[in-house]
Amino acid sequence: MSRQRLKQNIGYLAGGAVALFFFLAPLCRLVLMSLTTDQGFGFENYGALLAESRTLRAIGNTVIIAVASTLIAVVLGSVMAFLVAYTDVAHKKWMEILTLAPFVIPSYIITLSWSTLLSARGSLNQFLDSVLGFKVNIYSLGGIILVLGICNAPVVYLNVLPFLRKIPRDLEWAARVCGRSLWQTVRCIDLTQAAPAVASGGMLAFLAAIDNFSVPAFLGIPAGIPVLSTYIYENVIGFGPSAFRSAAALSVLLSAIALGGTALQGLLVKRSSGMESIREDFSVRVPLGRGRRPVQWAALGFLALVNIFPLLTTITSSFFPAYGTKTLANFTLENYQFVFTNRGIRQAFLNSALLAAATCCICILAGTALAYRKVRRRCPASRLVEQSASLTYAIPGIVLALAMIFHWTMVPGVYGTIWILLIAYITRYLVLQIKSSTNALLALDVSLEEAAALFGSGRLRAWRQIILPLTLKPILSGTFLIFMQSLTELTLSSMLAAAGTKTIGLSIFSLQQGGDYQRAAAVSAVVIGAVALVYGLSALIPLVKKLKKRAPKSDPAQPDPHLAPAL
Amino acid sequence: MSVTIKNVTKAYGDTRALDNVSVEIADGEFIAILGPSGCGKTTLLRTICGFVQPTSGTVEVDGKLFSSDKVQVPVEQRGLGMVFQSFALWPHMTVRQNIEFPLKSRRNRALHPQQRRQAVDAAMASTGLEKLQDRLPGELSGGQRQRVALARAIVEKPALLLMDEPLSALDAELKISMRKEIQDIHKLTGASIVYVTHDQSEALAMADRIIIMKEGRIEQVGTPEEIYYRPKTLFAATFVSKCNLVRGRWEGDCFWADAAGQNQPFARGPVEGCFREAGVCPVRPEEFTMTRIGMGLEGRVVNRQWGGREIHYKVECGGELFTVYAGLFDNYSEGDRVVLQRREAAREIAI
Repeated sequence: MSRQRLKQNIGYLAGGAVALFFFLAPLCRLVLMSLTTDQGFGFENYGALLAESRTLRAIGNTVIIAVASTLIAVVLGSVMAFLVAYTDVAHKKWMEILTLAPFVIPSYIITLSWSTLLSARGSLNQFLDSVLGFKVNIYSLGGIILVLGICNAPVVYLNVLPFLRKIPRDLEWAARVCGRSLWQTVRCIDLTQAAPAVASGGMLAFLAAIDNFSVPAFLGIPAGIPVLSTYIYENVIGFGPSAFRSAAALSVLLSAIALGGTALQGLLVKRSSGMESIREDFSVRVPLGRGRRPVQWAALGFLALVNIFPLLTTITSSFFPAYGTKTLANFTLENYQFVFTNRGIRQAFLNSALLAAATCCICILAGTALAYRKVRRRCPASRLVEQSASLTYAIPGIVLALAMIFHWTMVPGVYGTIWILLIAYITRYLVLQIKSSTNALLALDVSLEEAAALFGSGRLRAWRQIILPLTLKPILSGTFLIFMQSLTELTLSSMLAAAGTKTIGLSIFSLQQGGDYQRAAAVSAVVIGAVALVYGLSALIPLVKKLKKRAPKSDPAQPDPHLAPAL
Repeated sequence: MSVTIKNVTKAYGDTRALDNVSVEIADGEFIAILGPSGCGKTTLLRTICGFVQPTSGTVEVDGKLFSSDKVQVPVEQRGLGMVFQSFALWPHMTVRQNIEFPLKSRRNRALHPQQRRQAVDAAMASTGLEKLQDRLPGELSGGQRQRVALARAIVEKPALLLMDEPLSALDAELKISMRKEIQDIHKLTGASIVYVTHDQSEALAMADRIIIMKEGRIEQVGTPEEIYYRPKTLFAATFVSKCNLVRGRWEGDCFWADAAGQNQPFARGPVEGCFREAGVCPVRPEEFTMTRIGMGLEGRVVNRQWGGREIHYKVECGGELFTVYAGLFDNYSEGDRVVLQRREAAREIAI
């Protein structure tokens, strides 16, 4: 065996071992735990669970909530995608920002804001009570469905929008020439072709609904409405290790639903990858004529009402004490004083920031290296790691958290420290980085690297001067997503955090569960501010670049803006 | 179906995609719109089929007003057939469904299902698609897709067929063979065809008349022979028949080339005014005769490309490069000193 081969095989073995130890072993332990009985192995845990009426209720609630919220998300997301992609409404930028707001703001803050808006003593419910004679109870099945639907609409929107734009325009023109009117064409060409994308977006929304912990935790736990994810949480937190076996069995059930959905979604994506063009076409396809203004303002108004108004209510309420009227006389900064002086909250902010930063650093290095080995070297070990990592992303967060407990308690010095959170975050989010780095590298023609090698540049120089400049932006887009998600994470930390390792999400959750809504609102307001700041800054980057570019009028060294990836 | 285009202008801001274009297309005529990219040929086609509304001017079809700055008959009510550059087959429909689609529109609602089936069968038969009718477009080769696009365009038996660079997505071999199929369809249907292309050989090979366009304006309209042998503008001369423009001066019907000896004129004959004003004489590459000694443009062979049927030379004369197509028997090498003359006879015989 040559040295090259030996090195290669050692690499494969190392990759396989990593995949096995970090990604697959926790899941195996979970399955084993669910099968462990006092007598050995068997399905008694499942049998006992399914005999319990509360389990059946949890399963039933999970399915009802997932299906109904998916319907809301599909309608909302698809309609907005259609308006933005095809019609001539103005202010599309704002429409997109408003539509995507629930995507960038953590769902527990959205839930908190809806519960503030529709609190039993809130002004909206007072008004409804006095005019229509009823109150809206957000702590209900309907409330959970509504908030989840709103939270998951961006998932559908993001899936459908580029697909709609990629449908070639001449397919529409051909239909027009063949005697179809504009709306007939939209119906029988565009919408028919986009159906798989809508379905696959719906499937993603369904999976997100099953996976979601914060919405049913904030709204369902107080009202006694269990869904599978909160049911697992309650069992583990309430009964400790004695509930591990049944929690594991529940987790396997929940994962089965999620993995089935993921497989179905994969099939849908495969079906939809037909002959659409690669380029997105941003031209107006459906002029709305006289209806333009009404549609545009109705859409903007609706989005503002649903996605922004509750947040504003929350932010406002954070400036008032819990009891008493919201008048200027009652205005107070006391809640913020608490946020900025309380040691626990400060520690939580620090923890989340450190965790997010560390997760990003490790993911970007490991994820890009794995992606490179997969794309360019066709390394089977990298592919194995990727597949394992997508498994730990596809299963619900609460399940992964449980699996992490089972696995990492075996390794001393991990469970109960901040390391378990870091490991859990990487296990959960690494696949996002592998995916975005893979896409970035696939878009880079291999001949560019070969040319660099041919003209005498070493590996390091090729990376520094060729690969990174051309792929950095798409690679970083994945990292950015990981950063935002791990910064505001709740599901994993709710199970894995210990006394000194609380995260922001967990702090808000604890405050809310303790009935301390105003302080929870104040922490949320700070998080919203931080998120808005980060996105605002990232939006500024291209603007600054543009200004810089404009300053020296004609610099011959400047590459063609159409060829260079716009950073 | 006859089409009358009168003074059509289409402005996008300050730029004019079409600038005062007027042309008549007779019933059953095969007319090619030829020009480089960005010349407005596609805009003109899209004006005829109704995707573009003219800023001023009118489009009439069989005397009925289709387009003006005020009137715009919707595309779906124009009853045209069209073949797109990218074929524009709907990927979620089978070959048969694609071809049947036009017959299921509102304008064909009177059609009996039996008639519809017969029309689809006939369109598939005339394009040789019978065996492929249940395939999806994604499973077809380029040439087969092109046939489906053609069948879909003719299934309604439209009296006017529009084609937007239909062969440009095909490889060289297939391009030539599809030319015959398009000519056959023209004969079979008797429809007027408006055919947009940037490939002058396609236009010369198939069209009854050619419209040469440049920067939104019509440069010349004429039969392929007229355009080829009697270009009316410098652009038509260089774009279609690849003419070399020899510098010099016209005196009456005599042309004196700057780079040639002055004891006899370089060329004689009637010539368009624009060539007189520009002080050039158009000479097609095959119109040159090349000798080692004699009177004419003295130059040097700088490049030679053997082409089987003929040899293509680049000859440098007084700082200018001329393209010369010569027979296989006079074999020159790069660096050879040669003399170029214009062959008068070829011009006389041809016209």
